[in-house]
Amino acid sequence: MAFSLTINGQRHTVDVDSDTPLLWVIRDEAGLKGTKFGCGAGLCGACTVHVNGQPARSCSTPVASIDGAIVTTIEGLSEDGQLHPLQQAWIDQGVPQCGYCQSGQIMTAAHLLNNNPSPSRQDIVTAMTGNLCRCGTYSRIVSAVEAVAGAVGHYEPAGEDA
Amino acid sequence: MTMNRRDFLKVSTGASGSLILAVSIPGCATVQTGFQPETGEWKPDIWLELTRDDDILFTLARVEMGQGTYTGLTTLVAEELDVEPGRIKVKFAPVAPEYRNPLFGLQLTGASTSLATSWEPLRVAGAQARQMLVMAAARVWEVDAEQCKTQDGRVVHPNGLDSLRYGQLVELADREVIRGEVPLKPRSEWKYIGRMGSRLDARAKATGTAVYGMDVELPGMVYAVMTRSPRYGGKARSFNRDDVIGMPGVTDAFITERGVALVAQRYWQARKAQQQLQVEWDFSEALDTSTEAVFEGYRQAASKDPGAKERSDGNVDRAAARAKQVVEAEYEQPYLAHATMEPMNATAWYHDGGMDVWAPTQAPDLGRIAAARHTDLSPGKVNIHTTFLGGGFGRRLTQDYIEEAAAVAYQLKVPVKLIWSREEDTRHGFLRPAMLHRMKGSLNDGELTGWHHQIVGPQILDWYVRNAAPAQYPWAPKFLYDTLGRVGLMAEGIATPKDISAIEGATEYPYKVPNVSVRHTHTDPGVPITWWRSVGYSHNGFAVETFMDELAHESGEDPLQFRLKMLDAEPRHREVLERAARLADWGQPAPEGRARGLALFKSFGTYVAQVVEAGVESGEIRVYKVTCAVDCGQVVNPRIVEDQIEGGILFGLTAALYGEINFDNGEIRQSNFHDYRLMQMHQKPEVVVDIVDSEADPTGVGEPGVPPVISALGNALFALTGKRQRRLPLTA
Repeated sequence: MAFSLTINGQRHTVDVDSDTPLLWVIRDEAGLKGTKFGCGAGLCGACTVHVNGQPARSCSTPVASIDGAIVTTIEGLSEDGQLHPLQQAWIDQGVPQCGYCQSGQIMTAAHLLNNNPSPSRQDIVTAMTGNLCRCGTYSRIVSAVEAVAGAVGHYEPAGEDA
Repeated sequence: MTMNRRDFLKVSTGASGSLILAVSIPGCATVQTGFQPETGEWKPDIWLELTRDDDILFTLARVEMGQGTYTGLTTLVAEELDVEPGRIKVKFAPVAPEYRNPLFGLQLTGASTSLATSWEPLRVAGAQARQMLVMAAARVWEVDAEQCKTQDGRVVHPNGLDSLRYGQLVELADREVIRGEVPLKPRSEWKYIGRMGSRLDARAKATGTAVYGMDVELPGMVYAVMTRSPRYGGKARSFNRDDVIGMPGVTDAFITERGVALVAQRYWQARKAQQQLQVEWDFSEALDTSTEAVFEGYRQAASKDPGAKERSDGNVDRAAARAKQVVEAEYEQPYLAHATMEPMNATAWYHDGGMDVWAPTQAPDLGRIAAARHTDLSPGKVNIHTTFLGGGFGRRLTQDYIEEAAAVAYQLKVPVKLIWSREEDTRHGFLRPAMLHRMKGSLNDGELTGWHHQIVGPQILDWYVRNAAPAQYPWAPKFLYDTLGRVGLMAEGIATPKDISAIEGATEYPYKVPNVSVRHTHTDPGVPITWWRSVGYSHNGFAVETFMDELAHESGEDPLQFRLKMLDAEPRHREVLERAARLADWGQPAPEGRARGLALFKSFGTYVAQVVEAGVESGEIRVYKVTCAVDCGQVVNPRIVEDQIEGGILFGLTAALYGEINFDNGEIRQSNFHDYRLMQMHQKPEVVVDIVDSEADPTGVGEPGVPPVISALGNALFALTGKRQRRLPLTA
């Protein structure tokens, strides 16, 4: 069946089975490999993207359930090759170890800051705790989100999801 | 990761017959060095490549799986070459003898050895290249080379004004000959070692552009999934091919050694077809054990066979006979999965008389053997392209996933990516072995006079030798592979170094006790096993440091003082233990409802002491704080050391709190993150890492954070509840 999605501002029409998870559409139809496959069951968060501005586990989101949706992936988090403030903080704080979960971590953090530009530490932990990291980068993730949130007035939600 | 051994299969005369001896070691120069006029590239050595355009490339021969080789090893070269580490482009090494890990004679990344084994050679490589560039510039200027300096990729004239870019000098530098040793920079001149605080791969990983095995894409590529026997060792006899072959996108379905391969144009199509697959299995040689049966077997083996003597000081039996009190304990540790965030996968393409394999592997030369096994190719015709690894932890030292992809690709002749689901990753992996420990301590008025430790379980090389042995002799014909493996095992301890994977950390018991006995009862229940972050130390750390805690309490002594009084001859152990205790306010009462436990364990040359503060909240164990002191010699990148130690602590706590793979009739019960849990952010304790300032040669940090934390947590829970837990995972 044919489905239509706007991924990072670009319209894609894909012909796949209706139960194909969004993850595989993003990765193998749109060719965007930054969104990762971790568990296939919505348990780890490595596949987190934004669907119509809301965080979604793309591994468990059938494409038919979001036909016509606006999807943002790690590649579309910022525009014109600029880094999103979270990406810059991730680099400054040296967050990633193996790095495999970090696209999902950043997408979850971006949604948090879009809705709550000055989260408390508890807010951050509550928002982020569903994203697993086997390397144990949680402390650095909290620092990086706090570094961005701390720059109050400087953080502006990027143009995504608009 | 414990093959603490040089030349894993160094078979010498008289030990193993003529078989191996007939194969001579070839001249190993496969990596071309020198200047290539057509490209303008200068390779002063096997690691570095400098171009006329001032590109500097560094070939990284130790894979990047999160532990930081990409940054750490590049920093070593950059320091001596006098360029900013971020200016160096890193590329992953192909398979070549030059890139083998000198400790193993294999091109593998493990045992926390990367920095330690690269510390000298990479600095020397950088220094020699720099020296040749300086000599070339001096010749151009007709000045004394000693008077020239280097700065940020330029050689600076003695007048301090003129300079030449490295790129301008590469062709000339190639003609320079270094006589004698090139001095390395004195510590006082280091700009990056010990100061570098960023990660060179952070940008790629924060932008989703780092390429992992899972991300490899080739023109015309198809996708494969493998349906494996639910019980290890089972073989597919037949399956409903007609039903699945007609499903959308499915292009092929066939039986392989590992199970039934389904091939489709898209990944999801292969998965959907898999749901309709019905396989008839031959279970005649399949595993039929249960977790209970494994431990029952261990107990029987332990009682029947006291085990090989691995260490024997004095006479523990006499010490026990004379002791006022003899304390005994038995500890059980379960099987554990690695649960790398990136599930196993590999992409293979059989074409033009060779095979290309793209894989996140910790051992590319073993991967080459793995692929060769399933094709008509010799290993030399298999190219392994290493990607970033989405976690390794030892799992990717075993190459089963490459074997599968190669077997499928050999049939198809088009590029194929074989992807494991999370469930398959949990159920069909190679595991940290379950282990049993029997401990006996002799106490006389608070003095520990006897220490007996019997370790019961398998050893990993029995499983690992299959591909490791041929990888050391890649020119040996394939029909000899199994023989090579058998020779390696038979000659163990005689011609080949000993497998210490079961006993490491136990034999190096550091406390001064007059009678010490460590024995290993070797018994293997047939469950597939491999290296798991910190390997033998992971279970021996728990046994040794929990029993030390039991003995301290039995003798009515503070666990810190009990240990310290037996560490007079071990200053580095003492230092980390005292530091951790001081930082954690050991001896002061813990906050209401909490208690502290400590543990000290050296692994991979690195000394680690930890104090855990824990409690129980709403029926769950809650870890509030882990205070850790670590001595890993000279630090290259303080932030990466902190991160590796903290990551190891969370890895260890995950095992202590949740880690358990169980079998019923040969099948693994767990499947995904809901029943094989990982520590989440809200469960993470505060972690304090204190690094001892040291000028000793650096040792590894990827694994040593793991072993002590498991026992430190158990010891804290004992202090809290008075109930000793001798089986992992711990319960509230």
